[in-house]
Amino acid sequence: MIEKNFEGVSVRWVIALKGEAEEIIKNYAMKRVATTPFPIYKNKDFDMWLILSGIGQLNAVAATTYLHVKSDASYNTIWINFGIGGSRNFKVGELIQIDKITSSGFQDNYYPSPSAFKNNNIERCNLITVNKPEKLFEIDGVYDMEGYGFFSFAKKIAPYELVSVLKIISDIPGTDLSKIDKHRVEILVSKQIQFIEKVLENLLALQKILILQLRDPKYFDEICLQKKFTFSQKVTLRKYLTQWQARFPLRNPLDEIRQKMTASQILKKFSDNLLR
Amino acid sequence: MVDTIYVEDEVIDTKKAQEIISKFRHAKVTSIKRFGEVFNPSNQNFRIQKTNPALILAKKQKGFVLDAPKGFGIGDQNNYYFSHMYNCLYDCSYCFLQGMYNSANYLVFVNFHDYQNEIEKTIRRHKEKKMTFFTGYDCDSLAMEPITNFINDFIPFFSRYKKALFEIRTKSINNAVFRKHDPLANCIVAYSLMPEALAQILDKKAPSVSARIKNMKYLANKGWRIGLRFDPLIYCNNWKDQYAELFANIFKEIKEENIHSVSFGSLRFPKSFFNKLLQYYPNSEELSFLRSNDKGIISYDQSIENEMNEYCRLELMKYSDARKFFSCG
Repeated sequence: MIEKNFEGVSVRWVIALKGEAEEIIKNYAMKRVATTPFPIYKNKDFDMWLILSGIGQLNAVAATTYLHVKSDASYNTIWINFGIGGSRNFKVGELIQIDKITSSGFQDNYYPSPSAFKNNNIERCNLITVNKPEKLFEIDGVYDMEGYGFFSFAKKIAPYELVSVLKIISDIPGTDLSKIDKHRVEILVSKQIQFIEKVLENLLALQKILILQLRDPKYFDEICLQKKFTFSQKVTLRKYLTQWQARFPLRNPLDEIRQKMTASQILKKFSDNLLR
Repeated sequence: MVDTIYVEDEVIDTKKAQEIISKFRHAKVTSIKRFGEVFNPSNQNFRIQKTNPALILAKKQKGFVLDAPKGFGIGDQNNYYFSHMYNCLYDCSYCFLQGMYNSANYLVFVNFHDYQNEIEKTIRRHKEKKMTFFTGYDCDSLAMEPITNFINDFIPFFSRYKKALFEIRTKSINNAVFRKHDPLANCIVAYSLMPEALAQILDKKAPSVSARIKNMKYLANKGWRIGLRFDPLIYCNNWKDQYAELFANIFKEIKEENIHSVSFGSLRFPKSFFNKLLQYYPNSEELSFLRSNDKGIISYDQSIENEMNEYCRLELMKYSDARKFFSCG
């Protein structure tokens, strides 16, 4: 489960239909917070949001963009597109993690990072995003209608390694599409929920690595509050404080600062100390 | 080790690509058009990728042999380097690769013949001059030898060109390929070394320094020529004692006549590389001594650099002929 007290947990789900999302909403205790232009759900304890995009690539891109802004998602947010798909290579109900994304309408292909697949033993396969429901499944892979659009935008707002596409097989050659109803989809998802959790846990571990990289060094905010630093001075201050922490873990850099010192005098003081 | 292999469509049917793929029976093989689709597009993160790097097999299109930076060399007039691979099995904290790339995936160019053709042309173009070809700067070729067979292919190649030195820079203790071939007078197995205590902190996933020394001794006794590379020299609180001990340990095991060359160089990064490293390793005391100079290069203070170079030179002169000493730029 999600470690609630670790700062920075941030997850966004983009799912086409309510039937596909129901089990995720329940499992992560999310409540509806908006209805239009897209229904949005949110967990009250940690930064997890879910949007119902509707079917198709345009909807997926629009919903991802909307949720990015609406939820004020940071760069280190995990983005997951989840939903049902069809394939001639798998059985109905199998959970597939997507490792290559193509679209009949576009030349570029996308490749979700192998870091996201590590140790989870979930089947991996390529995704073919199409514009209308697929019945023939002429090419090996999983077919859907949103993944490509979702990934093409999500990779711009988050690191590649934190963007994932997960599909559950709902139809295979010969399936009567009219029989895939909300209830049936909910059952398929509920059977795989523990594995979906596992994928998310792995992504959270990767997110933690990133958050630790982007964290400001100790005392950075306090010092910036005391004196006015320009942007480039802040960059230097961040660097010096990081080096300070490594070199003098028992010395508080605040003790070096005198009341009348200017920002550049403070930086010089740190620099002189670090040179020794 | 590797659970994902990306292969460019153009090379998937080549013998080398198939030979490499066959070594990873459980890996998922995915076809790509060009390696740039998976290597280093914007928004990848080196440290996260390092948790599970993929292997990429691609074709190098141009730039097979490049001029070495000015001032870099081990005695010859002309110096070149070539890289059949980007990124490394090891995870050394000061490695410039993690500053240079956003991607930690192992990228192997499988068209070795094109490299060899270009090297041949370079040798012919400058046939009166002595020259050195360096490898192992954008990767550790020897560490990846069980996968690529790169050295196995290049030792017979360089055996035809006695005037051209071939330097293999490494931290690996894999010596199988050197057991397979007779020692080559124009091949230098050059070991990157630093004091053991520092290596334990900084040279993650690499063999210990004592294991490297043991392997150098083994290779030297077999007749291979050894290079000692103290590059970068790392500054820390008791660096003098640590380096003195390292040099003593090396020359206790290896005869001076087996040493082809000794080189040392300072720790230097472009600013952007260094900022990334500091993000990756905020607690590194070793990085805390580095400063930006007026040319925008991050390095130790000039007085520290000079003191380290001078001390190491004098200390090494206790064991080796100073004519074998070179600076790495």
